[in-house]
Amino acid sequence: MNPLHAKSYADQAVQRTVEIVENARLAKDTYRVRFKAPEIARRIVPGQFLMLRITDLNDPLIGRPLALYDTVVEADGRPEAVDVVYLVKGKLTSRLWQMQAGQRVDVWGPLGNGFCQEPGTRGQEPGARNSTTHHSPLTTHSYPPIPTEHLIMVAGGIGQTPFLALAQEALHRKRYGEPPRDMPRARRVTLCYGARTAEYLACVEDFQRLGVEIRLATDDGSLGHHGLVTDLLQQCLAEHHGRPHIVCCGPEPMMAAAAKIAHEARIPCQVSLETPMACGVGICFTCVAKIRQPDGSWDYKRTCVDGPVFDAELVEW
Amino acid sequence: MPAPGSASEVDLSVQLGRLSLRNPILAASGTFGYAREMERLVDFARLGGILPKTVTRAPRAGNTPWRTVETAAGMLNAIGLDNDGIDAFLEHHLPYLRELPTAIIVSIAGKSHDEFVEMTRQLDGRPGVAAIELNISCPNVSGGVDFGTDVAMCFRLVESTRQATSLPIIAKLTPNVTRITDIAQAAADAGADAISLINTVLGMAVDWRKRRPMLGNVMGGLSGPAIKPIALRCVHQVAQAVKTPLIGIGGIATIDDVMEFLVAGATAVQIGTANYYDPTVTMKLMDALPAALNQAGVTSVREIVGTLKLA
Ligand SMILES: Cc1cc2nc3c(=O)[nH]c(=O)nc-3n(C[C@H](O)[C@H](O)[C@H](O)COP(=O)(O)OP(=O)(O)OC[C@H]3O[C@@H](n4cnc5c(N)ncnc54)[C@H](O)[C@@H]3O)c2cc1C
Ligand SMILES: Cc1cc2nc3c(=O)[nH]c(=O)nc-3n(C[C@H](O)[C@H](O)[C@H](O)COP(=O)(O)O)c2cc1C
Ligand code: FES
Repeated sequence: MNPLHAKSYADQAVQRTVEIVENARLAKDTYRVRFKAPEIARRIVPGQFLMLRITDLNDPLIGRPLALYDTVVEADGRPEAVDVVYLVKGKLTSRLWQMQAGQRVDVWGPLGNGFCQEPGTRGQEPGARNSTTHHSPLTTHSYPPIPTEHLIMVAGGIGQTPFLALAQEALHRKRYGEPPRDMPRARRVTLCYGARTAEYLACVEDFQRLGVEIRLATDDGSLGHHGLVTDLLQQCLAEHHGRPHIVCCGPEPMMAAAAKIAHEARIPCQVSLETPMACGVGICFTCVAKIRQPDGSWDYKRTCVDGPVFDAELVEW
Repeated sequence: MPAPGSASEVDLSVQLGRLSLRNPILAASGTFGYAREMERLVDFARLGGILPKTVTRAPRAGNTPWRTVETAAGMLNAIGLDNDGIDAFLEHHLPYLRELPTAIIVSIAGKSHDEFVEMTRQLDGRPGVAAIELNISCPNVSGGVDFGTDVAMCFRLVESTRQATSLPIIAKLTPNVTRITDIAQAAADAGADAISLINTVLGMAVDWRKRRPMLGNVMGGLSGPAIKPIALRCVHQVAQAVKTPLIGIGGIATIDDVMEFLVAGATAVQIGTANYYDPTVTMKLMDALPAALNQAGVTSVREIVGTLKLA
């Protein structure tokens, strides 16, 4: 293997035209689409994503990145299908929700870096300087394999989607990847989840069923805490449930606020950036984010191959 | 008996000036990264060639996001030639690229005549470089001189780079000119081995609610199926005007698109935006090419190039 080869390239990706198995409404403007894609289902790990496009349609033309929600495992124990949960937002999703079982979409994945890569794989490649030299994701310090004692998942908007699979992994309910990867067991897993109003909260029962502790917030107070999801994070940290590790996904201001809280409390924090993408595999340079370099300067990095999960300390908000 | 559509029945090889290629399907610069990203999705041995993302003399951070916006059947981009500079390219990317079982055509963009020539010299004699494409057509680089819009400057640049290397030189032109045939003629007269047509079409997108341009760079280059008719027109016009072999680029995504460009006068094609939304598109085109040539009643690519019948 080429020494410059990063783990983060679309090394395991396949492209397939697949049939929709089901498309179910979960909450206001929120749906879960299931499609059969065994190669992707077997390889994908929590925090990774896939690109989805409506087959043979030229408008919308470009694929959209969507996170793994969960895999569907057949009776023989093999993952066969992939579930993705999406919010109806624009051109593609407003067509996708109307699609029926049997209709076709193009998907390619798994893509990007998942949460909690084992330490040592996220090191800086010597000599890498700018966003176009290819290297693995950056970090200034490697984490202990998370979840330490208390895994705290902070989600805003549709940002809860990557966390169900992560919670299952952390609670040893399910393994992901080929070969299935091992995760140390978390003593406690908490989901702090904020949305505009109660009717947008989706998937909460799935987390409940796993035994995840759930703390909700809404902008209008229609359910849970009336205010910000970061308030929930602060409350949660104040209760001291054991050595915490934060993972965060949602709108950028929310992730920036969570990152600040984590920084001040000196708690490891990973964020999953939702930068717009066009290819998802690293060939277009659309998806760049400002990532801090070892020398203190920042550089544009492609979130599709260097992320989407980054050490929060390295993101220039 | 070979299976129908198998490559053994037809001669796919093409000749672009001094550059010989296995087949006419290439990956366009800026739409295939540095190839490594596509390693598991594409069988490089089946490609006619790969053009890595354009390199510049000095590293460039690129433009502020948003860098791309989807538009009807296309996309606008203003990446701004985000790259590490030629030294890093030679050190980090070329060692990988030169091992690939396909032709590597290095795309370069200079801010000045001298920068182009200097980079050409740096590439001259490097193992693994099959040719150089002069990107004199990127709409996203401010401050750079527009060699693609000035006949005299284009001529002088192609001539100087030709003298600076024994590698084949390809000039990649912009459609954002009044008469593309004038620029193409200059490149041909100066000895370009081939002419690539087209780079992106200058465009813009506006968010009327915010009353702001959608792209960080305000304007950007349109690509994808939306520009195919413009690219075909350019290939046709230039094919009528010069003898130099042409490489057609612009919105190519299906085998019909490929065949249309060949008939209109392109000897080879480059696939751009389609790589983004269909990463294995080049493989699908290679699967379909022999059968399409059969259907056209020819046994080689050469026989179909420029066979457009004008009443
Ligand atoms: C790694 C990753 C994982 C994701 N996972 C999920 C998921 O699991 N579920 C989910 O619902 N969403 C997810 N997203 C977000 C999702 O990809 C987008 O919301 C998607 O583009 C919506 O597509 P659309 O066609 O419906 O909307 P679009 O028509 O693409 O528009 C969506 C919104 O983005 C804005 N926009 C349009 N173009 C640009 C641009 N160039 N730059 C910035 N903004 C732009 C529009 O104004 C609009 O408000 C994820 C994003 C990333 C990067
Ligand atoms: C995001 C993006 C980046 C590009 N970068 C380059 C580049 O670095 N150098 C270059 O010569 N052309 C670049 N191009 C232009 C393409 O190579 C091609 O000429 C153009 O997109 C038209 O072809 P298409 O419609 O098949 O994409 C870029 C195009 C896109 C969409
Ligand atoms: S989305 Fe194309 S490089 Fe990341």
